[in-house]
Amino acid sequence: MLLRVNGDLQEVDAPDHWTLLEVLRYRLGLTGTKQGCDKGDCGACTVLLDGRPVLSCLTLAREAEGHEVLTIEGLAAAHVAAGGQGADALQAAFDRSGALQCGFCQSGMILSACVLLAHHPSPSEAEVRRALSGNLCRCTGYTQVLQAVALAVSEACGQPAPRRAWEPGPTAGEER
Amino acid sequence: MLRLPRFALRQPTTVAEAVRALAEAGPAARVIAGGTDLLPNMKHELLSPPVLVSLARVAELRGIAMADDGALVIGAMTPLARVASSTLVAARAPALSQAAGLVAGPQLRERGTLGGNLLLDTRCQYYNQSHFWRSALGFCLKKDGSACHVVAGGSRCVAAASADTLPALMTLGAEAVVEGPAGGRRLLVEELLGNDGARPFRLGAGEILALVRVPVPPPGHRGAYGKLRERGAIDFPLLGVAARVDLGTEGTVLHADLVLTALAARPRRVTGLDGLLAGTRPGSPSFEAAVERAAGAAARQCRALPSIPGDHEWRNEMIPVYVRRTLRAAAEGAGPVHHV
Amino acid sequence: MAARDRHGLEAPWGQFRHVGRPLRKIDGLAKATGAAVYADDLSLPGMLHAKTLRSPHPHARVLSVETAEARRLPGVLAVITGQDLPVRYGILPWTQDETALAVGKVRFVGDPVAAVAAVDEDTANAALKLLRAEYEPLHAYLDPFESLARHDPAIHEDRREGNVSKRVELAFGDVEGALAAAHAVVEDDYFFHGTTHAAIEPHCALARYGADGLLTLWSSTQITHYLHRALARVLGLPAHRIRVVQPCLGGAFGGKSDPFSLEFCVAKLAMLTGRPVKMLYTREEVFYAHRGRHPMHLRYRSGATRDGRLTGVDARILIDGGAYSSYGLVTTYYSGQLLTGPYDFPAYRFDSTRVFTNKPPCGPKRGHGSVQPRFAFEVQLDQLAEKLALDPIELRRRNLLPPGAQTVNGQRVTSNGFAECLARVEEASGWRERRGRLGFGRGLGVAGSMYISGTNYPIYPNKLPQSGIQLKLDRSGLVTVFSGGNDIGQGTNSIVQELVAEELGLQLDQVRVVAADTDLCPVDLGAYSSRGTFMIGNAVLDACRKLRGPLVQAVAEHWQVDPGRVRFVEGSVIDLADPARSLSSAEAFQLAEERFDTLGATGSYNTPALGGDYRGGTIGASPAYSFTAHVVEVSVDVETGRINCERAWIAHDCGRALNPLLVAGQMEGSAYMGLAEALLEEHDVNRFGLHRGPSLLDYRLPTSVDTPELLALIVESLDPEGPYGAKEAGEGPLHPSIPALSNAVFDAVGIRLRHLPFTPGKVLKALRARPALNEAGLAAGAGRG
Repeated sequence: MLLRVNGDLQEVDAPDHWTLLEVLRYRLGLTGTKQGCDKGDCGACTVLLDGRPVLSCLTLAREAEGHEVLTIEGLAAAHVAAGGQGADALQAAFDRSGALQCGFCQSGMILSACVLLAHHPSPSEAEVRRALSGNLCRCTGYTQVLQAVALAVSEACGQPAPRRAWEPGPTAGEER
Repeated sequence: MLRLPRFALRQPTTVAEAVRALAEAGPAARVIAGGTDLLPNMKHELLSPPVLVSLARVAELRGIAMADDGALVIGAMTPLARVASSTLVAARAPALSQAAGLVAGPQLRERGTLGGNLLLDTRCQYYNQSHFWRSALGFCLKKDGSACHVVAGGSRCVAAASADTLPALMTLGAEAVVEGPAGGRRLLVEELLGNDGARPFRLGAGEILALVRVPVPPPGHRGAYGKLRERGAIDFPLLGVAARVDLGTEGTVLHADLVLTALAARPRRVTGLDGLLAGTRPGSPSFEAAVERAAGAAARQCRALPSIPGDHEWRNEMIPVYVRRTLRAAAEGAGPVHHV
Repeated sequence: MAARDRHGLEAPWGQFRHVGRPLRKIDGLAKATGAAVYADDLSLPGMLHAKTLRSPHPHARVLSVETAEARRLPGVLAVITGQDLPVRYGILPWTQDETALAVGKVRFVGDPVAAVAAVDEDTANAALKLLRAEYEPLHAYLDPFESLARHDPAIHEDRREGNVSKRVELAFGDVEGALAAAHAVVEDDYFFHGTTHAAIEPHCALARYGADGLLTLWSSTQITHYLHRALARVLGLPAHRIRVVQPCLGGAFGGKSDPFSLEFCVAKLAMLTGRPVKMLYTREEVFYAHRGRHPMHLRYRSGATRDGRLTGVDARILIDGGAYSSYGLVTTYYSGQLLTGPYDFPAYRFDSTRVFTNKPPCGPKRGHGSVQPRFAFEVQLDQLAEKLALDPIELRRRNLLPPGAQTVNGQRVTSNGFAECLARVEEASGWRERRGRLGFGRGLGVAGSMYISGTNYPIYPNKLPQSGIQLKLDRSGLVTVFSGGNDIGQGTNSIVQELVAEELGLQLDQVRVVAADTDLCPVDLGAYSSRGTFMIGNAVLDACRKLRGPLVQAVAEHWQVDPGRVRFVEGSVIDLADPARSLSSAEAFQLAEERFDTLGATGSYNTPALGGDYRGGTIGASPAYSFTAHVVEVSVDVETGRINCERAWIAHDCGRALNPLLVAGQMEGSAYMGLAEALLEEHDVNRFGLHRGPSLLDYRLPTSVDTPELLALIVESLDPEGPYGAKEAGEGPLHPSIPALSNAVFDAVGIRLRHLPFTPGKVLKALRARPALNEAGLAAGAGRG
């Protein structure tokens, strides 16, 4: 089959019953897409298919033919191809916010956030929470993930990032 | 990783081709729509079709449009996310819009389709498990075994209907358009339903669900969907309540309907609702009293079985609560009723 | 131990350049871009895939396992059963009761019986279905009380104590006298259910056995060193011919701190086939591997004087251990030994019994052994406060351990910021103005806790260092650190990088960390008991300080100045007396190499002698304790019984916050995990002994819309023995979340939730059973604080 992954058209040989996740990881070596639950319950395997977030563990590889697949590896590569350096702004925001503890869920999380920001450049916290509600994270309690998205949003708008509870600032009484 | 069993994939591009491919592949073949229900079930070896006929490339099955007669026509392969975000659906079929938006989580709504959700397999804690797990139990009535572990001595499967959109479609009087080797047919969605959790749908051999038609609602149509689940995302319903309240020009109830799901093998319509609610005005004491009586009627007529995981006594207690809340939400043009 | 293990609190070069700042993690960008390599991301040429056959019975004798048919399947390279790996192991040397594959008996549904290696996963799965295992089912113990009452047939037949896995009974002071003299006594039962870690990465191991007889195992483990020892024992190989490597790890929380069946199986299969072998657990298998939080039935009796001073505490605990010992001996001690702070009480007794049941084995989960007693005790403290008409924070304040105190069970407490933790959450939550005044259905609750920063008790008795570090300095100005520590996402390697950069005056990118590879790195005992920052951090300082002298001396001699004028600052070396003069750290390294030869150093840490002078007195004895207080705000939907946890203020004393970003992440993640256990998660078997729902659909981790606002308030009571004063942050902050939630529900609607999990059905039942108070009356009654 011919798959377009991160802009590259690649010929892959895999049986019909292979999922897109298996082909990405074990045929194309794109191991940034993770497997956590086997069957669509955790969101770690999220990739973008024509710009929409889907679970690659529940997508047959052959059904992805003719569509644009974007994995976490494609994000930074596209950023560099566009003249940027390092990781793209959203990935960097996740890093700077401490959202990457074990990191295992975060490729899916970042891609879900990426889609949200593509459609809603300035989402409310409730909208961010809803958009990420199919990506389970076991480390962060989502706090630093939400802060990462808020950081990316505020920087894109030239605003200062919201203050975190533990940072020096207004007195504790105002922390509510 | 949990693997899919082997199969051959067919990817037709028209309905006619799909019907033909299904016929050629024989009775064990299955249709795959979004795959979000079928593929986990195949990974659990609940079914191992030798051939899957994918509808993903059948463009004519995708999309939301208005038919000549004013009905809302939704292709079976339309992703739930599109159903949920459609302003047309929100205006014409609010209960469906809300229900579609509460199915599973964001990624599954992108891949999962309206047709697939309508034909979602029934669910049970003794069924939706791996082959190993089920073999350790000695299997069950629905698959590979003879005993029911939910109802001792039961001979009819009580796995629970778990599709959120189905009760909403039922309150809307929606029809399904089915294409098969003998041509197409149109029937009310509830006519697709069986009573046995092991065989929940009456789709003929080689038939494909093509479209869903939602007839023109009366001008005062209102609807809402209430979903009880443990988490605010991902989970299947522990209870689903679709409510319809049509108001007349006077602002009083002309017609009301209530369908509950996630109880047993098929969604259940609460009977006698018009008699309770008709003529009352939302917000008035008589409406509130009628809502209370409707909640009582639902509690008497419906019973949640411990087929799906969770505290079924609590699910039963929630029947009147969610009926009240969803009816009120419908009447107010609000909803969905959901804890987050 | 030695004075060398105390390195002082001060910045090494005048002021901190890295410490205390919210720094990026050493591997953050690799993770953000998908470049980080986890165990299942590895693959080797010719690699085989292995799968495990598991017991369908909760308790049975294995009569036979017929493998011939499976072996004949094309593509199957090897099949092993218990006979191939008969040597027993277990994380603790005293309770080695596991085998990699069943020998004679199976003890829970999912117990491994045989393993197959094949050319691909599909073939391995097909081979499993061709294996024929015959069993003689035995009576299954699913209830710990039954295990206590009878033991015929015993789950472990060679145990003298029947189905009892461990019993610990310790008493300090005159408990009966103290309770008799108390003005108020509260006695109640509490139940903590089973929960599991559910790291998003499933367990995975890959083994290669070379023609040279060297075995390499890459595994998603958090205890490389103990795994190394267990492999040598079970495989019968000398340890020096085994290399264990931990790749990037996708979460653990204690769930990867035992040696697991798959690690032995892939190693054995690689030895038998001469080819690399990988095994990746399915999510279902991860639930069988388990080692999660022990269910505990707890009975507490606590007394206090009229003015709220605790007089004594008496605890009786039944612990449901599941099928094997795992860390159970320690769990049983921890269930009592870790309760003796942050409150001071003069008399204490606990009687804890762990029993075996035919369920997936329990083990250490974040806050090992002490989360359950903490829940019971902190709810009980609230009950005492209610009885004495005292504000719950005030009651806790009246019982603070005094500075420099020793606990009733003989633990030395050095630094203690608990009073400040209480003050911070009280202030931030608006406690004084808001508690009891939020109206019916909404409330605030408080709880506190204390936790260890590692213990002085290594898992096997030895006097070797608990943590070792090795440094290599390169002429380029790069320092490579070889650390035995297991970075499991909590950021151990980032802390190592930061401390080396601080001590040697470097920029962060001048420090590379190679970790958790037994061939390359000195021993560290692993990621458990919240020991990483404290112990590895001290080892890092020890190693760095051995190099600072030579580096400074070489530069001073070069400049012909007093060494006191030489300062290493973020990659440069400056002369304090002459700002015009400077070198790069690379130049300084070269000067030192010229003067002293190739540059490197080792460092280590071991604990001082700690603990009470009685059997078990060292278990739970820590060189430093962290402290936490939470206030949780809830609203309760009295129609549905659903508790909506809206926010949690988490104040945690972690000593010096070396990297506040990482500290906050641990605090928030801990609180999230505790609240999830309280409200959503339950790990249990059904009446057939089968796991109720071994999937991430049925075992419900909260999503982003289910998680409350989490506000991390960092408190820093500098510890005299921690690296620059640092203590733990990874586990302590979980403890108060669950009792604080229960106490908040009491404030909201006047019901005491003493039985976890707090499901809406239970809340409704409790609301119905509540004494008939009208809502206004209840709100007024709740305003007593």
